[in-house]
Amino acid sequence: MIVFFQSLISGILVGGIYALIGIGLTIIFGVMRVINFAHGDLLMLGMYATWLLFKYLGLDPYVALVVTMPLLFLWGALLQKVIINRVLGALPQNQILLTIGLGLIMSNSVMLLFTSDYRILTTSYSSSSFSLLGISISQPLLYSFLVTVAITGVLFWFLQTTDTGQAIRATAQDRDAAQLMGINVKRMSVLAFGLGTALAGTAGALLAPTYYIFPQVGGPFTLKAFVVVVLGGMGSIVGATLGGVLIGVTESMAAVYVGSGLKELVVYVLFLLILLFRPAGLLGKSRA
Amino acid sequence: MRLTAPRILSLTAALALALPGAAAAAPVKVGFINSITGPQAPIGETMTNGMEMAVDDLKKRGIDVKVVKQDDMGKPDKAISAIEQLATGDDVSVIVGPYTSACAAAVAKQTEQYQVAEVIPAASKEDLTRLGYKWVFRTNAPGDVYAKSLIDAALSFGKPKSVAFIYESTDFGSSLSKVGKVYAEKMGLKVVADEGYQAGSPDYRSTLTKLKAANPDLVFMVSYVADAILLMRQSREIGLKPQAFLGGGAGFDTSQFEKEAQISTNVFSVTQWTPDSSPAAEDFNKRYTARFGKRPTYHAACTYVSIISAAEAAAKAGGDRAKTRENLATMTWNGIMGTVHYGAYDGFTNQNHVQMPVTQYQGGKAVTVYPPSLAKGAKAVYPFPGWK
Repeated sequence: MIVFFQSLISGILVGGIYALIGIGLTIIFGVMRVINFAHGDLLMLGMYATWLLFKYLGLDPYVALVVTMPLLFLWGALLQKVIINRVLGALPQNQILLTIGLGLIMSNSVMLLFTSDYRILTTSYSSSSFSLLGISISQPLLYSFLVTVAITGVLFWFLQTTDTGQAIRATAQDRDAAQLMGINVKRMSVLAFGLGTALAGTAGALLAPTYYIFPQVGGPFTLKAFVVVVLGGMGSIVGATLGGVLIGVTESMAAVYVGSGLKELVVYVLFLLILLFRPAGLLGKSRA
Repeated sequence: MRLTAPRILSLTAALALALPGAAAAAPVKVGFINSITGPQAPIGETMTNGMEMAVDDLKKRGIDVKVVKQDDMGKPDKAISAIEQLATGDDVSVIVGPYTSACAAAVAKQTEQYQVAEVIPAASKEDLTRLGYKWVFRTNAPGDVYAKSLIDAALSFGKPKSVAFIYESTDFGSSLSKVGKVYAEKMGLKVVADEGYQAGSPDYRSTLTKLKAANPDLVFMVSYVADAILLMRQSREIGLKPQAFLGGGAGFDTSQFEKEAQISTNVFSVTQWTPDSSPAAEDFNKRYTARFGKRPTYHAACTYVSIISAAEAAAKAGGDRAKTRENLATMTWNGIMGTVHYGAYDGFTNQNHVQMPVTQYQGGKAVTVYPPSLAKGAKAVYPFPGWK
């Protein structure tokens, strides 16, 4: 029984981070209909920023969020303004090629700067845990989860109640109609890409104390983010949150009850099954 | 002037210095396939360092070597294009590398076709020298020695009754644990868990919890660089506490792992080479540390030795590939790994015989604790005293 709850808890905690990565991707897709294949590489940038701040300034990874989040936001906004904006009306495959290219440029530049060595960020709590009724709860994962919950909460509040948030949602619903209503959709796109980048970077920062950092770390996370987003329904934030936790728990359970080497298989089989029965994802609305 | 032996020697030396081109023929071309980038890059870097030291030392002995480097990024398909390029485009006399078992196996299959000898420095999958490949030579010990040394060591320290295996599902991880399981059962240990995992996952806690529930006396881990650290961190988190953690070389024998004293202390690892095994090894250790600012791992030492064997065999053959192969099969070398000879034993062919020492991390340093002949009085901490 302890094994069951242990893997459930780890699954939920890791799932929280998957959710954060997914939310970033889903916001970008929702507002611009651009599939961001550089998402994992943006996450990687967040990891490196965290690592640099920790190594040279001794900033705790969680404290460093106040620097890394705005930094990544600005980077994302810049990318959108200077590059992505130009392909908004282009064919989807051109957009995909562009984001893949951006991702390659980012990961290879980082490789040139910092070599492909694995960096390990060791904090005093990197391998510590709380014990609860015989179940151990990883300290860094728990902190990361709490930060994720807080950020998701603030994000909901922002999108639901503020004018800017509503404008972003309106742009996501119907770009042309939003423009006709006087919403500056270009600005909303810049905001959305900045926001998505900041969320990816935050996920990177939250992973940094428990994972390892190298220039190609992004790839698998891009893939995972897609699964999370498609599972939850493209463009749906609640869907991405749900998808993230679902993937986290499935991985964790599959590792115990099916086999560690087969957990990805279980995840993708589940993914296919859900798509077979709900082609638009768990909370997605099918679009014309 | 009477020509005494020392005079002749000094004269030839002077001549060789004055006419560098006259003494040495055209440089020997050695292909070097290595994981320069990608997840195995930290280990690849130490192998490049070892290669550079070998090239310099060979030059001192009058053998001019031109190394043609190829990056396999740790991927077998890239390794195959690398051998194709080296054998046909660059026309090298002999190939050293690649690092990982998966890449080395892919290259080994091609050696017959290209008629070029491959000297494997540090890949441990048993099959590499068990399938009777004529052109494949291996400097390091194969997987069975890893498992045997570690389990023998544990049995000499205490009385463990059960063992759990957790390993990366790659050629290296699976083949090493496979022979490990067979040997463990032969030695009367019960295998209570057998978990292959997919590398690159941020969370191994659930797998480790399952392991903990099986309550093994020994935990045998096989991983590359970063996963070794991750596995030990998460073992500490969930409070996994066997009598001993046994690390199967690779990621457990790196300076990165050594530095993480909080989680590496008291962990055992098996290694192909230790710096204090002989005066030549000590000298290599000193020169390497002075040059690169890090201690040499076995990967560096094995590559150093492999380059020397390959280059000397090729130089003696005048660069001819078939003769290089014959030389590799017949010559013997003496150096930092003791006597090196690629011979046949226990079903292996062209396999160098290596005794693998077992080390334990004590006070942030790897200390040789087994076999007693190499341990120099160092005592192993057994059983594992628990997490601090």
